[in-house]
Amino acid sequence: MKRQRKAKAPAPAPDPNVLLPPEGVPLHLAVSGMGARFGAQITDILITMIGAIALVVLLAVMNLTSPQTLWAISALLFFIIRIPYYVLTELAWNGQTIGKRMMKIKVVSRDGLSLSAHALVVRNLMKEAEIFLPGTLLLTLDAASPVASLISLGWIVGTIMVPLLNKRRQRLGDMIAGTYVIDLPTPILLKDLAQSVPKPVKDKFVFLSHQLDHYGALELQTLEDLLRAQENRPSMQTNARNKATLDSVIAKIRNKIGYADKVAPADSVAFLRAFYNAQRAHLEQKQLFGERRQDKFHADKAEKD
Amino acid sequence: MEEPTDLIRSARFRKEREADWLRLEELATKAETQGLRRMSFGEARDLAALYREATTSLAIAREISLDKGLLSYLEALTARAYLSVYAPQESARGVIGRFMRKSGPIAMRKSWFFVLLGFLSMGLGGLAGYLLYFDDPSWFYVLMPGELAGGRSPDATTGYLRSVIYDDDPDASGLGAFATYLFSHNTRIAIFVFGLGVFLCAPAILLTFYNGLIIGVFFALHVDRGLGWDLFGWLSIHGVTELSAICIACGGGIQLGAAVLFPGQSTRAEALRIAGRDAAKLAIVAALMLVAAAFIEGYGRQLIQDRNARLIIGWTIGGLWLMWFVRGGRAQA
Repeated sequence: MKRQRKAKAPAPAPDPNVLLPPEGVPLHLAVSGMGARFGAQITDILITMIGAIALVVLLAVMNLTSPQTLWAISALLFFIIRIPYYVLTELAWNGQTIGKRMMKIKVVSRDGLSLSAHALVVRNLMKEAEIFLPGTLLLTLDAASPVASLISLGWIVGTIMVPLLNKRRQRLGDMIAGTYVIDLPTPILLKDLAQSVPKPVKDKFVFLSHQLDHYGALELQTLEDLLRAQENRPSMQTNARNKATLDSVIAKIRNKIGYADKVAPADSVAFLRAFYNAQRAHLEQKQLFGERRQDKFHADKAEKD
Repeated sequence: MEEPTDLIRSARFRKEREADWLRLEELATKAETQGLRRMSFGEARDLAALYREATTSLAIAREISLDKGLLSYLEALTARAYLSVYAPQESARGVIGRFMRKSGPIAMRKSWFFVLLGFLSMGLGGLAGYLLYFDDPSWFYVLMPGELAGGRSPDATTGYLRSVIYDDDPDASGLGAFATYLFSHNTRIAIFVFGLGVFLCAPAILLTFYNGLIIGVFFALHVDRGLGWDLFGWLSIHGVTELSAICIACGGGIQLGAAVLFPGQSTRAEALRIAGRDAAKLAIVAALMLVAAAFIEGYGRQLIQDRNARLIIGWTIGGLWLMWFVRGGRAQA
């Protein structure tokens, strides 16, 4: 059996942040951190606990319970509310409980298909063994019985270690169900910088093809960030330090590409926009013909190959 | 507004599709907040179509565009749309119905071997306990936890043992007894044997075996005093359901442990995932049985004091469970 397993070629470790939907276009979905998941869990526990307490109060008011059994009944209600709560909310809201909705995280299926009811039941049943059992043990830890304390401590450490030890931060229940938890992305459509260049500005700054051969995608996108910051906060343009930054950026660019004409301080943003436009058009053109330029060292890399 | 005609290619690409993306964003938000069920036919159709269009756009944009803002927008938009298109299509009622009618009993039949192992662990434990007691009654004190015995030990009088079995004066009844019971020894055992199964089989089997030992010595004590049949009746009324539940939970645990121990051709995590399909269903079946047993315990055992009635009810319910496992989910002939 060992031989057979070795014979298999080791598959390259897949990026944990990539999910492949049935359409075959890989999507980047960041695996959610332990903090957000812990927060969601606390919220959900509070919600179910409040529900259980409300029911117990109702039962007590209606005289359906005696004081001796109150504790057992509240524990039972917490238990009975808890399990369907997780399964049904995750089924109804597509992998989100109320806590997860608040923390903007979500359960997804590792195979890229939709979550099955089975997967949701499994991951939440295992939660009982993983979180609530050690949780109750933790609450009932007793100094009088060191062996029981040690066992429960070991258990708690074990279950906490499991998600820390794998790349997708899966609990045992996640592994059995084939699911993991992601951060929900927020789509924000920013203005296209290349779109909003007035024609006279474009004619004012002209870049030659050899001047655009210096930079790659990384520098272009850094410039994009700088320009977007200018756009989002118009007040920055009067800021002296911002002006100094722009001036030094322009000086660097002019020096690198050998752009002889001086740029008037009032035109600095316009110059950078025009350069961004020309550079992007140039790089995209190159990319279309199969030459991806990652950064300004692209020429060195091409020589090495 | 005048149309700039000298746009670069990726900007033109964006301009042509932007309206569709915005519409998709709107539909995806609607699907997330209101649910697919509340959307009109046209909206649902557009959502699916626009989502596929957006995946294509994303694939193209990754090739032709260097606009970071656009790429991250499309990435997030496609992901959001993907998550709302591939949402679970089942209702809670449908899931429960399907489990009761089909998948529950089918899983039981598929993992009959593990369930059998569970029953064997308890049965052998019971036999061992029984024989040990007749070998030397002091084994009772070794095996039986004090709080579980409730004064019922070899020191107790036969009259006391009988009075516990036929309890004329129930102090707690109904809901209280039900709840107290569910958090008693056996439910914890059932949860533990299932949960511990994942950490290799041994703890699950040992715990079930030990549970069997307890029942064995307990039974032997009563047989020794000539109360064998009375105890059998006392245990039968809920025990048939309850002990079966523990054995089934144990079977599920063993199934998970076996997947970790012997993963075969797949990786351990993968094997665990496959075994989990049936094991989880076994756990749910066991949970249902425990709840049923708690109801019988809470209401039935105190009300029905006759030995034969207890036997009949206990084993009839056991037979019903068996019928569900054997007959349920088979195609109608």
